[in-house]
Amino acid sequence: MTRVVVVGNGMVGSRFASDLAARWDDAAGRDPVEVTVLGAEEYEPYNRVLLSEVVAGKVDVAAIGLPGADDARVRVRRGTEAIAIDRAARRVVTGEGAHPYDVVVLATGAAARVPDVPGLTDHPGGLPRGVHALRTLDDAREVVAASVNARHAVVVGAGVLGIEVACGLARRGVPVSLVHGGESVMDRQLDRAAGAVVARGLAGLGVRTWTGARTERVLVVDGAVRGVTLRVAAVADAAPAPGDPGGPGHGGQRATRVVDLGADLVVLACGTVPEAGLARAAGLAVDRGVVVGHDLASPDDPRVFAIGDCAQPPDGGTGLVAQGWDQARRLAEHLAARSGADRAPGPGATVGAVPDATTGTAPGRPRVRLGDADRPSMALRLAMNVVARPVGERRAAAVGAPGAAGGGGPAPAGPGARSTTGTDVVRVKAAGLEIVTMGVCGARRTHDPAHRSVTLSDPVGGRHVEVVVADGLLVGATCVGAPDVGADLTATYTRRFPVPADPAHLLLRPVAQAPAPASSPTHMPDRTTVCTCNGVTKGDVVACWHDGARSVDDVARATRATTGCGGCKDVVCGLVDWLATADPEQPAGAGAPTPVELGA
Amino acid sequence: MDTHCPYCALQCGMTLTPTAGPLPVTVAPRDFPTNRGGLCQKGWTSATVLRAADRLTTPLLRDADGELRPATWDDALDAVAAGIERVQAEHGRDAVAVFGGGGLTNEKAYALGKFARTVLRTANIDYNGRFCMASAAAGANRAFGADRGLPFPLADLAGADAVLLLGSNLAETMPPSVQHLAGVRSRGGLVVVDPRRSATAALTGEPGDAVGQGVPDAGRSPGRPVPAPGAGPVGDQGVHLQPVPGTDLVVLLALLHVVVAEGLADAAYLAERTTGVEDVRRSVAAWWPERAETVCGVPAERLRHVARLLAAASPVHGGAGAYVLTGRGVEQSSQGTATVTAAINLALALGLPGRAGSGYGAVTGQGNGQGGREHGQKADQLPGYRKIDDPAARAHVAAVWGVDPATIPGPGKPAVELLRSLGARGTGTTFADDGRPRALLVHGSNVVVSAPDADRVAANLRALDLLVVCDLVPSETALLADVVLPVTQWAEEEGTMTSLEGRVIRRRRAVDAPGEVRSELWILAELARRLGSPVAFPTDPAVVFDELARASAGGVADYSGLSHARLDADEAAGGPGLHWPVPAADHPGTPRLFLDRFATPDGRARLVPVDHVGPSDDVRPDAPLYLVTGRVLQHYQSGAQTRRVPELDRVVPEAFVELHPVLGLRLGVGDGDRARLTTRRGTIEAVARWTDAVRPDTVFMPFHWSGEGSVNRVTTDATDPVSGMPEFKVCAVDVRRAPVLQEVPG
Repeated sequence: MTRVVVVGNGMVGSRFASDLAARWDDAAGRDPVEVTVLGAEEYEPYNRVLLSEVVAGKVDVAAIGLPGADDARVRVRRGTEAIAIDRAARRVVTGEGAHPYDVVVLATGAAARVPDVPGLTDHPGGLPRGVHALRTLDDAREVVAASVNARHAVVVGAGVLGIEVACGLARRGVPVSLVHGGESVMDRQLDRAAGAVVARGLAGLGVRTWTGARTERVLVVDGAVRGVTLRVAAVADAAPAPGDPGGPGHGGQRATRVVDLGADLVVLACGTVPEAGLARAAGLAVDRGVVVGHDLASPDDPRVFAIGDCAQPPDGGTGLVAQGWDQARRLAEHLAARSGADRAPGPGATVGAVPDATTGTAPGRPRVRLGDADRPSMALRLAMNVVARPVGERRAAAVGAPGAAGGGGPAPAGPGARSTTGTDVVRVKAAGLEIVTMGVCGARRTHDPAHRSVTLSDPVGGRHVEVVVADGLLVGATCVGAPDVGADLTATYTRRFPVPADPAHLLLRPVAQAPAPASSPTHMPDRTTVCTCNGVTKGDVVACWHDGARSVDDVARATRATTGCGGCKDVVCGLVDWLATADPEQPAGAGAPTPVELGA
Repeated sequence: MDTHCPYCALQCGMTLTPTAGPLPVTVAPRDFPTNRGGLCQKGWTSATVLRAADRLTTPLLRDADGELRPATWDDALDAVAAGIERVQAEHGRDAVAVFGGGGLTNEKAYALGKFARTVLRTANIDYNGRFCMASAAAGANRAFGADRGLPFPLADLAGADAVLLLGSNLAETMPPSVQHLAGVRSRGGLVVVDPRRSATAALTGEPGDAVGQGVPDAGRSPGRPVPAPGAGPVGDQGVHLQPVPGTDLVVLLALLHVVVAEGLADAAYLAERTTGVEDVRRSVAAWWPERAETVCGVPAERLRHVARLLAAASPVHGGAGAYVLTGRGVEQSSQGTATVTAAINLALALGLPGRAGSGYGAVTGQGNGQGGREHGQKADQLPGYRKIDDPAARAHVAAVWGVDPATIPGPGKPAVELLRSLGARGTGTTFADDGRPRALLVHGSNVVVSAPDADRVAANLRALDLLVVCDLVPSETALLADVVLPVTQWAEEEGTMTSLEGRVIRRRRAVDAPGEVRSELWILAELARRLGSPVAFPTDPAVVFDELARASAGGVADYSGLSHARLDADEAAGGPGLHWPVPAADHPGTPRLFLDRFATPDGRARLVPVDHVGPSDDVRPDAPLYLVTGRVLQHYQSGAQTRRVPELDRVVPEAFVELHPVLGLRLGVGDGDRARLTTRRGTIEAVARWTDAVRPDTVFMPFHWSGEGSVNRVTTDATDPVSGMPEFKVCAVDVRRAPVLQEVPG
């Protein structure tokens, strides 16, 4: 019996429990498993990624519940918070008792980061009324409730989440100001030019954006928020105005001014802080998150693993659920394989097939082998949206995001300048804004001479597309305001399709063959197929006219045109009318044919 | 003489008139509900096949020199019987296998299954329907308790506000059916999901794919949602979604996600008529449109637009009705059953199945693809769509056959596994060495062209002790046989077919078969006699049908109220055939299934959660593109018939590979160049055709040919774990220009 205790019943913890149960074969001779999942929240696992959609009113709260582990070997204890990990006794202590473990998996996630700003962190008893993070279902419910009567909302942090929330609140009709410390929005993923296009898009949706804006103070009266005080560059206004390069120039001492924004609803989207308190208290190495190796185990205790947002793997955490789901799957495979290897060496020791999702019972899909736990098939990684690709680039720690208003998604790095590999695909969910980035993107990339970058900049059209190509492959892209192109680029990037000889072809959907019908039969080439079902061309129709056919029925008898699906009746009718009006064989001038409008 | 077209499941009505010309009959279309007086080029020219230049007119026997030579029926049948007896004596009953076809009449399909179970007493019988309908059948059976391709008349589509067509190119495969989409197109509601801009996708009227050139909203239907700006171009007759090959399931999961997330589901219907919605609701919570976009390549807003369009068309929102239809494009996949299930889940969430004017259906392909899967030539089935492992079913059928139920074998291997295991060198994993089939009887199937990984299939056929092929013409498969038996076709025989809408119709004899051609019914009876079987094998199709009807009584596909006489009388009275089930002689048939209850034990439809895994043979550095396969209008299946019609062959005489100009430029494969395609199975060559109808990451090939351009030589034989259906539709491929042969001087 292997006892696995999972601390955390969120998107990653619950997925891990399911994955482990699905992969752990208790068949004869193998070690049985017992999984206990401890969830601090009373809720069943839900899709945290969709909380911004709940705020936007685009997704029903009831629709974000995720599947739990449907397996008798998995017990889920909701509303049970882990208090401590007693590594000596190998048990996880909760308010109701202790859970002994052979393996403990930390999937405690991350908490919303609350910037150290007067009015926020000095308020007794937590955040003031009207100020919310957006991390839990309760947060989302509270923001939605507050939005009903809100006169003005301020969203702090214009990363992915901040932009989604700002657009969501604007969609609900709430006037929104979006405040960002960086010089342009989403500056972890977007360079200045792309950020400017997004800011214009935000303005069009009714979101007033303040960039380069330090949040100085949150004004609280009688325990409720009344406003936010910003310090912005003196020349900056709601940035960027059309034609405005997007902010003050660099270098030298900037002149600043103070702006007071009235607000009765403030949403903090300032990144996250891994929930690593249990690990720290248990004496495990914790940096930004729980330090783990490539095997997701703590270097201090091989029985302790960490996955998802609470973990800090060697390449760093991305804050995207894709990474957590990938870790969940990998760890489940690893543990299941290890149990088999320990007790049933031989062919059974290799990791078997992926369980059949359609029935949950079939022995598996023998064609998908997962022998190499570190390199799942592309299909699986795509299926799980795990599309992280090392791009050979070490990303510098989040420079330029000091203090209050850091980037939105993953939190800015703490001291120690953590570095991460290239980002995954980041796809913003905000009605009216179409943004996707991947791989090499944004202003903070390190420049590699092997990278060839081609950009389409169309700010007035609300569009900005950049592709980065190396060795015939797409290694990065930024795409704003071109959803079809963005979707194609994602496919090309994740599957490593060969890119066109000229990468500029990636910037636009190739113009489709114009299927437009000829404006007149005169201009229709003889070889044009008129009746697809029977392979009849215009030339065939003309020929049968010369053989005496004078009506659509005559033509049908002679050529079988119109006798299949009948979709070409209008065209054949038009041809017959045209032939009746003027014989096309006559030289021009001797009775020019009258154009006849053809039905398409 | 009124009959039906020999080709696809539309079974267009046609009238044959004897003539003195070079062909024995002329063909004229007639009014019938599926074709309404239309015929495509294949139908118009079908009489040519009756007098194909190389028509088989006498049995052929392979002689000591290895040549096929004409033989008498007695010699040929004696050789078959002796071969069967020898193989069974040496290797057991299961060592003789049978491979049937979806083009056989109901009577032949029934007799073939009966022959396998009572004379050969082999478990190993399956058919080429496993290549086309198995996933749809598995999905529908699991969800509804019954599988009738369309559980409603095709003409019902005309009234709908939306039709979602997944992986079907019916404008080329069954052109006259396009008439039934006129209504939905006029209301802007045709949604086609296909990685290619096929002739069917073009019916949406979608104007190219350039950003911002779409018609925002033709506004012909008041309830139709206005597409959001990010939805991209939308046609005035519908929408074409062009996903990355192998990701149709993701499209469906995202559509259902939107339906659930935006509260568009039919809650009352789900509560009253279904089970399992809660699990499915949770399972799609992980497929928000932006995530789906990163996997399937369809923009998120486009997915939302289509979901809203379908919802607006659904009865619960006051729409005129909506249909979800699947075809081979999504079913011929290692996750085909899951994809069909996701399509059904979507339809159920919108409250469509079992409602007049709405529904889910699978567009059956082969002429008798429906009837062919009902009467017992499937590895796991007995007549009446009964399960072979159900004791009551075995007892019922055994009584009709006059045998002991215990003598009826159990389930056999599905087609791909069966073909893989053939011969001493078979590589199938589930056969003990001594249990591999050493003899195979093939009826109405050209597996050397139509099976996946076809070179391996051909090698296995060559390794058999005995291969017997019944065919009209010397097909590629027949040419490998030890014994070839010439059989009747379409206009030379009486019988019944069951169309894609479950309508049982009559096939009639208009001409005499040439030479010594005989019906399979006679051949099976002769073989049964030679093999000493006491079981009766009548040869009159009407008598066989009566027995089939009795065997089907009480089954899912109940024909017991039908007879040739009743069908003839019905047709004489202007009736276009009856839809099964027809459980009594006075029963009017069942045009629409499930109106009151589903065929499950509790009468409710089942929603089953499914998830996306992706293609079994996915792109990788040495095979960085997707290869998808399909059909052209002029050819049917393996082309054995249509390649012998000069009028068709002239239009599309050889295999070709479609690729996007941008890809062609990258690869150095010009329009008209010969392209060389390499997959894990092997290498083929075909002429390149540049077209922007394919995605730049995908190449397309039709599969109707043998030889150098035979695409099924390189398709994968990975199968769906539930249905056993092979993954024809997607594999990874490397494409380059074929080396130009240097002329050697001298």
